[in-house]
This record gives sequence, structure tokens and C-alpha cells, in this order.
Amino acid sequence: MFKNMESLYDLYKNKGYSRREFLRSIMLLSATLGFPPSMFPDVVKALESRPKPAVIWLEFQDCAGCTESFIKSTSILPADVLLDYISLEYHETLMAPSGFYAEESKKEAIEKHRGRYILVVEGSVSPKDRGVYCTIGGKSNAELLQEAAEGAGLIIAVGSCASWGGIPYAYPNPTGAVAVSKLLKGKEVVNIPGCPPIGDVIVSVIAGYTITGKPPELDSLGRPKAFYGQTIHDRCYRRPFYNAGRFAESFDDEKAKKGYCLYKLGCKGPMTRNACATIRWNGGLSFPIQSGHPCFGCSEPDFWDRGFVYTPLSVVEGGFGPKEALLSVTVGAALGAGAAYLNKKLRGGK
Amino acid sequence: MDVALYDFVRGPFLRFALFVFFLGIAYRFFRVVFLGLPPDYARPKGNPYYMAVKKILIKPTMGWTFNEIFSRRAVNYVGGFLFHLGFIGLTFLVPAHALLWQEITGLPMPTMPNIISDILAYAALGSLVVLTVHRALNPVLKLLTGKDEYFANFLIAIVLFTGLLATRWAGSGYVWLLSLHMLLADLLIIYIPFSRLSHFIYYFLSVGFMGWNAGKRGVSF
Ligand code: SF4
Repeated sequence: MFKNMESLYDLYKNKGYSRREFLRSIMLLSATLGFPPSMFPDVVKALESRPKPAVIWLEFQDCAGCTESFIKSTSILPADVLLDYISLEYHETLMAPSGFYAEESKKEAIEKHRGRYILVVEGSVSPKDRGVYCTIGGKSNAELLQEAAEGAGLIIAVGSCASWGGIPYAYPNPTGAVAVSKLLKGKEVVNIPGCPPIGDVIVSVIAGYTITGKPPELDSLGRPKAFYGQTIHDRCYRRPFYNAGRFAESFDDEKAKKGYCLYKLGCKGPMTRNACATIRWNGGLSFPIQSGHPCFGCSEPDFWDRGFVYTPLSVVEGGFGPKEALLSVTVGAALGAGAAYLNKKLRGGK
Repeated sequence: MDVALYDFVRGPFLRFALFVFFLGIAYRFFRVVFLGLPPDYARPKGNPYYMAVKKILIKPTMGWTFNEIFSRRAVNYVGGFLFHLGFIGLTFLVPAHALLWQEITGLPMPTMPNIISDILAYAALGSLVVLTVHRALNPVLKLLTGKDEYFANFLIAIVLFTGLLATRWAGSGYVWLLSLHMLLADLLIIYIPFSRLSHFIYYFLSVGFMGWNAGKRGVSF
């Protein structure tokens, strides 16, 4: 009935991969999703028999960085399988058709896969001034979102812009950008924040939906617990240095070279929930802290407006330095002296 | 949610607390100083300023005689010493705290490793509990203790406890616990100038005054 009836296993076979390679990928996927080993046979069965997921990927106020991260995710599925498996029915950056034909194919896909397709939104939405700041094919972004969200089986907001508003939402937010979930009240939105998020996480959440038919377990901010349940600090390999009170003082001093903790250089790992320290980037090669840069919390809400990339986490935001301390002491001293003077005067100098 | 709270307690609220703290302490200190004493025209019989400094310097060691410590006031001395050592050490030398002080004072601050801060935290917390119980049971201390003291002890204990929990056992609740720790610490900072906790500065004033008085009268203490 559908042209996309191939399962993941069919794809592996057609591309000349062995069953062993297929099983290895499934094992990795199950582990990434935090499934118990007892579920393994069911996972295999699901990916042998269920058709590949249909994905409609909308881009609004974005930079396509999330897409870039997604297509470079090769830890779980090999590159040639990935893009065939996750059937991108509509993706402005990646699809061949353009203009009128592209819009037509989206309409078709929505009808064909109604109730089952996965809607991925990249970028924030701008409903302000009837959505004139972001339009595609003559329609406003907010309208396009509603249209596509209605028949979706699962809605994923990919990246910090779609999850929280991100950079377009940052002060002074000229386009009135908002998070996807703000416009889809009453609908469950899975947030996969990060600037960009880890590609393997996007792939796992999409594949996880094919396996279970349900969205993953989410935390109070709509993030999958399996990937955002712990802070970077919880799993950071530099943690022993933090515990021992050994900190790099600058980016290239001896201590930095020895791999000491980056807290003093402004690391936001202690309050940033993400899987960078475990899954890592580029096929598990590295992540910011490993390459010597403190985490700046790109997956947390409003990270851009917090504006303290290189100041230590515990330091007062907005600043309270010697000047402020002196000012408050001076005001206090003046008030104290004034009060003493008044007290004395009232008591007639006694 | 938890991160929003965290940003508030480490941002605007902490800033506010620090303003209240410095302003309040300076206000009370200078009010007492400027209020001064009734004029006393008698000529000093000794050297009051020397005696004031001497008293401040040697007072903390004056009770440290064997008899004093181990027969009569062991709980006060040992508990008090451990508590103050722990509390002051933790306040200034835990890395996160030290960096805050560095920001406030503009001076570089040393930091200490977790293992030492853990020991100090257990010592301070344990001795605070013992001191509080002792206070509640001791017939004399009981009379000198009001609601304020119990409240202050409770607030300090819970700040210590949440700090310890956050670094040791928080797990996924880390950000919540850290925020709670900072919220309570902010409240403590605000509360200090209004309470007897400000003894960290008045102590020197009153002890100095005792020494000064003794010096003026030419007696020893
Ligand atoms: S580098 Fe950052 S995340 Fe790693 S231990 Fe230090 S503060 Fe924590």
C-alpha cells in the first residue's frame, strides 16, 4: 500500500550489510535508549518488521545546524542507511524538489501518513505580526506548524531554538520568537535541545518511536530522560580534578594542559543536562570539555541571555565586586553615623 | 524550572542579599561606634589601646586550660571550635565559594579539595547539633537562649546540610538541591546583620572594648 514499507533490516540487507552488523546497530541503539537487555528480542523484531518512519522536517528560524548534526550522526546507523531509513518526506535543506513541488509533496505526505508521521521542527516560531518574519510558500510559519502538527504521531522540537526559543528568542527578540511547545498547547512535544543537539540522540528518539510507538519518557521540561537525566558534570571525565580542587586558571596554562577541571574558566557542566559527556560527538570522538573548552550550557533554556560564558558558575550574575561592596558599606556607615547622631541629639548628648 | 530558580538565587537575589549584608553590618557597626560613650574625664591609668588589641588577640586562647576544657566546658570549647573552624573554612575555601569571594573582594583566593570540605562539613554539622542540644538542656544556657538562636542554628544547619547533600548524594536532584542550598544561604546572608550572628564583627568590638576598659583602669584581665 505504501511505498515506504521497507523495514530497517530490509535496508541493511539491500545495502549489503550482514545480519551481524544489523544486530550490532540494534544493540547500540537499545543501549543508547536505555532499554533493558530483556527487551532486545522485541527491539529486533520491531526493526525487522515495522516500516521505516516517515519524517516531515520543518525549518523555521534556524541555521540548519541541527540538520547538519543529524546527518553526521553515524554512531548508530551507517551513513547510507541513516538517510534511507529515516524517510525524510519533506526537508527543505535535504530534499530534491523545490518550490511548488516541494509544498505539494509535503501535503501528500501529511495525508498519506496521517496519524503516524513524525514531525520534526527545527528553529523557533515567530507568530508576531501574523507571522510575517518567517514565511514559506506564502504561508506564515505559525500556520505551517499548526497544519503539520495536527496529523502528527510524534512531534519533536529539535535544537535549543525549537525547544526554548534559542537565539532568535534572545534579547531583544525582535521577531517575537517562541518555542514550538508554546504554540502547540495541549500537544505533547519532545524537546531535544542543544545548539546543536547530538545527532545520535535525534536518531535514537526517532528510531525509539518506531520500536515502541510511544514518545520517550520525558522530564518536566519535555526532554527525554534517557539523554537529559544527568548533568554534564555528573559524567564528566574531569570530575576527579573538580573533586580534588584542581582547576585550570587559563586556557593554555600548565594546569589546563594537565587536563584540570574547567570550572574557573566558566564551565556550566554542573547545571547543564545533556549527554555530551557520555555519547560525545563525531562518533564518540570528543566533546567541548574534552577539547579544552568549558561547557557553556547550550542545551539549557535561555543560555544566550545569561551572558556569562567565561565567568565561573557561582559568581553573582550581574556582578557584585569590590565597588558594590564598598558602596553598600559606605551607605551603611553613613546611615549608622546618621542614626547615632540623631539618637544622641534626641537624648540630649547623654 | 530548577535552572530558572538557580539563576534567580545565584543572580538577582544573591546580589540583593549581599547589598543588605554589607549595608546592614556597616550600619550597625558604625551606629555603635558613633554613639560612643558618655564623656569620661578621668586620666587613663594604663594603655587602653594596647590592652584592647591584646585582649582581641589573646581572648580566644584564654579558656584553653586543661581544667577549663575537659572538666567544665568541654562541649562549648571543643564544639565551638570545630563548628567555627568548619563554618569559616567552608564559607571561604570551597571552590565555588572562593570564586564568589574573589569576585566580591577582587583578591585571589585559595581553594580546598572536596575531601577536606567534606570533613569540615561533617565536623561543623555534627558540632552544631551537639551545641544546640547542649544549649537546650543546660540549665544556664537555656535561660540565655531565645527563639532567634534556635532559628539561626537551624538555618545554618540546613545550609550546611543541603550543601553537603548537593555535593555528595544529589544524583539527578543536584540542581534543585544546589538551588535550595543557595536560596537558604541567601536568606542566611540577609539574616546575619539582623541577628546575633553578626557577632563575627561585634565580637571584636566588645572584646576590644573590654580590653580598652581594663587598660583605662590599669587593671589586668
Ligand atoms: S570541566 Fe565542567 S563538567 Fe567537568 S568536572 Fe569541571 S565543572 Fe564539572
